[in-house]
Amino acid sequence: MRAACYLVVVLGSLLSRPTAAQTAPPDCRPAEPMPPELGAWPDRAPLAAAADRAMLGGAVLPVGRAVDASLHRTPDVNFVSLPEQPGGSVSFGGMFTVEVVEAGSYRVAIGSAAWIDVLVDGAAVLSTAHGRGPGCSGIRKMVTFPLPAGRHVLQLSANAERTLPLLVARVP
Amino acid sequence: MVGRLMGLTLLVFGCGGRPPAARAADPLRIAAAPVPADNPTTDSKVELGRRLFYDADLSINGTMSCATCHGQRRAFAHGTRTHPGALGHAGRRNVLSLANVAWSRTLTWADPRVTTLERQATIPITGVEPIEMGLGGAEHVIAERLGADACYRQMFAAAFPEEGGTIALATVAKALAAFQRTMVSVESPWDRYRRGDTTAMTAEARRGAELFAGTAECAGCHAGPFLSDGSFHRLEPDSARRPDRGLAEITGNALDAGRFRTPPLRHVALTGPYFHDGSAPTLVDAIGRHRAVAPAVDRLTSAEMGELVAFLTALTDSAFVTDPRYQMPRRFCGRAR
Ligand code: HEC
Ligand code: HEC
Repeated sequence: MRAACYLVVVLGSLLSRPTAAQTAPPDCRPAEPMPPELGAWPDRAPLAAAADRAMLGGAVLPVGRAVDASLHRTPDVNFVSLPEQPGGSVSFGGMFTVEVVEAGSYRVAIGSAAWIDVLVDGAAVLSTAHGRGPGCSGIRKMVTFPLPAGRHVLQLSANAERTLPLLVARVP
Repeated sequence: MVGRLMGLTLLVFGCGGRPPAARAADPLRIAAAPVPADNPTTDSKVELGRRLFYDADLSINGTMSCATCHGQRRAFAHGTRTHPGALGHAGRRNVLSLANVAWSRTLTWADPRVTTLERQATIPITGVEPIEMGLGGAEHVIAERLGADACYRQMFAAAFPEEGGTIALATVAKALAAFQRTMVSVESPWDRYRRGDTTAMTAEARRGAELFAGTAECAGCHAGPFLSDGSFHRLEPDSARRPDRGLAEITGNALDAGRFRTPPLRHVALTGPYFHDGSAPTLVDAIGRHRAVAPAVDRLTSAEMGELVAFLTALTDSAFVTDPRYQMPRRFCGRAR
């Protein structure tokens, strides 16, 4: 009986392989082409996130440019607005300023399952769509927000790693 | 089994005039839910349990709390078929709502061994089938992480004086259980209607309630104030191709293959998708898949189907899903977080 139980445990963990991936697995063959608005994704430069409101001026994320965001330990982050999933003390988070020139739908694409908020005038905007990225792209999560023109705050929280691939794209 | 349960029966809310106690003691006279004798509910335990419920430090990489899967807006269920774990392992079953969970005789979709919330709480934290919060074999991080926080030390000391304020999986589970026992929801339009407020439900929903209890043959299994008999039934023929054998995985009895616990239906309009694997996207779909146990569903007109759905929608207690007492706490130990 005991032995049978252990067997089940082992099988269970073999069968349920992690689906998390910050980058696409090397042997992955894309089934679908990358939509043009996400074309910048593979081409990422590092960008440091803000840990508090005062740092936001120096953490501007241009729309359409992919970055490897470098985040802060969650206990060191003072979010402008407490996220619904703030993350534990061993997780990472941070904030960016996003400048929206033209009102419209904007998609935030990330390489993990971190929590994403966009604040307009300090309040979190309700998202209009959720999804995974195209197969093999390394985009793990995409959330779409309707945004007015202006300078908004992007908050990322509950991330497992210090670095997070990130792209904000205008939805065509 | 029953004898043991009875032995554990105490009042749920021993914490002087908390509003949930007032709600439970309403004219519908729902008998008090059982509370294990070794984990009486106290204000300090509930407060600690609430903080823990929202704390992602209970997951290996700090990314996932109980609330990640059990969100208040959906009556503490989740809007996806299954939810992956903190390390990305695929989920196996649909996330259950936690409303009125204190009354469930057995917990989870198909494991009659899980009879207490204390036992259940360790499953997502340390379980490996599937890996959810991922602390299996790493339970020591609970004491390390939480013990590093002076306010947690204070809260554990207040909640578990008889255990010297020990910070460990067992006390975490007890506090989480105490908090979940306060998740009481008996203020839906259906409750108000049954208490005599004839305007609480629309005429369509009232016809749906009659169908549910009558010709549609639902109430035999979805029985009582929480609309579940707590028993295990097979709605669709089992086949070897189904990866989830349900009750048979626990009993080893082939006759139990494909049997799942009748899910309680309060808040069901908020908790889709439905069924143990989340394979029924809508209420109409879920109802239609009952033809083997409730053949009347095939004879329902579309108007009658609408009435059943209207009744099920009247089982939503909108005050419960916005009640500040169940929200993520913003202050601990008198300080903003
Ligand atoms: C990864 C998502 C996930 C996380 C995190 C999670 N749960 Fe769950 N929960 C589920 C799923 C899925 C089920 C149904 C499991 C089954 O039937 O096998 C469930 C079932 C339950 C049940 C049984 C409800 C019933 O009606 O029988 C309780 C109670 C519960 N969870 C409490 C918790 C607590 C407390 C935590 C935090 C320690 C937690 N859950 C964390 C997904 C999750
Ligand atoms: C023989 C017992 C039985 C009868 C009769 C019955 N149900 Fe169910 N019901 C169940 C079980 C068991 C499930 C879960 C099935 C699964 O997960 O595979 C369920 C699931 C559901 C669900 C989905 C709930 C969720 O959270 O996933 C709804 C809605 C529902 N039933 C409504 C009804 C209605 C309406 C009727 C009458 C037409 C009815 N049931 C008759 C046992 C029953």
